[in-house]
Amino acid sequence: MHPVKLFCWHFMAYPYLPEDFDDKYDSGWVTVPNSLWDREKARGLYQEYIDQLVYADELGFDGMVLNEHHQNIYGLMPSPNMIAAALSQKTHNGKIVVLGNLLPMHLNPLRVAEEYAMLDCMSGGRLIAGFAVGGGPEAFNYDVPSPRARRQFWEAIDLVVRTWTEDGPFPHEGPEYPLRYVNAWPRPEQTPHPPIWVPGARSRETMENAAKRGYAYFLSSRSHGDQTRKAAQAFADTMKKYNRTYSPFDFGILLSVYVSETDDQAKIESQEGIWYFLRNCLKGHLRTKGRTLTWGPGIPSTSPDSWRSVLEKWEFGATQLGDTKDWAELDRRASIIVGSPETVRNKLLDLIERAQTGNLLIQFHFGNMRDDLTRKSMRLFAEHVAPTLREQSADVFARDFPEITDLRPTR
Amino acid sequence: MTGSLLELPTGNVWVEHIGTGQPVVYLHGIVDIHGTEPGPLPFHTTLAQHFELIAPAHPGCAKTDEDEHLVTIDDVVFHYLRVFDALALDQFSLVGSSLGGWIAAEIAVRYPERIKKLTLISPTGLAVPGHQIADIFWYAQPDDGERYDQLRNLLFAEPGSEFGKKLIPDAKDTIEREMGKYRVFRFASLIGFKPPYLYNPRLRSRLDRYRKPALVLSGQPDSLVPRAHVDAYSAGFSDGRLEVLENCGHSLYAEAPEAAAEIVHRFIAS
Repeated sequence: MHPVKLFCWHFMAYPYLPEDFDDKYDSGWVTVPNSLWDREKARGLYQEYIDQLVYADELGFDGMVLNEHHQNIYGLMPSPNMIAAALSQKTHNGKIVVLGNLLPMHLNPLRVAEEYAMLDCMSGGRLIAGFAVGGGPEAFNYDVPSPRARRQFWEAIDLVVRTWTEDGPFPHEGPEYPLRYVNAWPRPEQTPHPPIWVPGARSRETMENAAKRGYAYFLSSRSHGDQTRKAAQAFADTMKKYNRTYSPFDFGILLSVYVSETDDQAKIESQEGIWYFLRNCLKGHLRTKGRTLTWGPGIPSTSPDSWRSVLEKWEFGATQLGDTKDWAELDRRASIIVGSPETVRNKLLDLIERAQTGNLLIQFHFGNMRDDLTRKSMRLFAEHVAPTLREQSADVFARDFPEITDLRPTR
Repeated sequence: MTGSLLELPTGNVWVEHIGTGQPVVYLHGIVDIHGTEPGPLPFHTTLAQHFELIAPAHPGCAKTDEDEHLVTIDDVVFHYLRVFDALALDQFSLVGSSLGGWIAAEIAVRYPERIKKLTLISPTGLAVPGHQIADIFWYAQPDDGERYDQLRNLLFAEPGSEFGKKLIPDAKDTIEREMGKYRVFRFASLIGFKPPYLYNPRLRSRLDRYRKPALVLSGQPDSLVPRAHVDAYSAGFSDGRLEVLENCGHSLYAEAPEAAAEIVHRFIAS
């Protein structure tokens, strides 16, 4: 059995917000004024972040993860494909995971098919192609009505896959993206096409659509309690409906890690970056204070039935990850794992075992974290956490998935 | 007061019928029947003392099915043509509130012969340069995760009033009312989230096609639809008139039900 796959996810936060940002601005998203961008300080920022990802490749991570966000300080990648292009030339081994391109925000999905095919060729077949709908902030960024975005999304994915797998030229007759000539050059290097990952927040619709098509499901939630295990189980059940057998590599989760020599040292070093991330980057996204744009009646993306079940469970004003006040609370949320190699190793093994997931997508850089600290944490992880995780996860998977004798390639 | 499901080839439509008399079709807004309010408000029952008030719920609202092909305001107009045909409504008066007012105006400029009297209450629908309709979707997301001060500010003259807090309360409302809010925003977002934002840039130049009497009723100050919009509506119709209720906001039919109903009653009966 294959061991867990460990990816390094970089969000590329804007690290130079003023001290009084939280008092003065109600969101780090959409309306956060771009007059706060400091040209002097920001010079070289992308290079620093790209170099951190190149370092991840050198350290032997299974891949580098990028994603798309607009008009915000949480992630400075309106076009992750540009960063992926840079990585294709500066890295040599790891997968390049773009998770993903927000299809409804692109006028024509053909452009996404073309750029992903280019990236796959440029990287020697290392692309993992992620597709996402976009959440609440993105709806406001590009004025995409949420209910329609869901419909556009699946038609767009199907069009992209046809573009990669069918000989062109052919016409596409879908209602959202009618095209007379679909005939993309280049074609992707991987056959039949790069693996496809689709993020979701446990909605049944997304699981159904991903399972039916044979794609991997990535749980976009940042906190990991019982719900993570339930989501993996729900996806496994959904796959079964379509005569597919769940393997841990069909499911991925996002978490964040900081490693240092000791637990105390890890807290001291990561404190500034982590709370910058929680307070500023998550404001407007996963924080009660301000205006959270992630879900709600203003961006009614899920079906009314799904919304009803959210309402039944939802506590109005319940605190979120970004509201976290202290280390104890942070620990309970099982989202950002901080400590010595041993602490991090034990917690991640526990998580792998509980969630039955074979893809850990790990954020190492937080908010305004210094380059040297970020690299130190990545290095300690690669040297003192990853080897044991790989070894022991393979045993766990062999024990829990005896029917899967060999790793099937994710499609 | 009775509601019933109208079966159309495109899905079911929930229609409330209240009162007797000449037919008046009512197209709802947000803080309204089939919107945040599950049933009729005093405004509707007061009007229904004089007319047969026929109030269909927009696609996806109340028990009306969603129509996945609905994308533009034109689709909504065709939806309502089917509803009117199925109800055998040939000639009738039409009243629309908020985004229902926009839909009513779109129907009236296309099929003026079917509408006897047209009443628009706080209507969205027009583009008036320099006077943008406020972003109700943005403010439908609660302030600090638990308050709706800003949303009430758009919908009512007095956002902090007991009345406003009863209709749009802070904290979680009953599931049914929360669902009503979600559904009406979902419908509104389909036709009005993407710019043009809750308007049709070509509607203003078409208003003169409706030559019969048109009443535009506005509560002021309306923080959602600027005053310039109701001025433009009343000036754009061949026979338009504007009535303003002071100290009411966007949801004046909820805020001043008797006064609003009386103005609409007088206009339709005249």
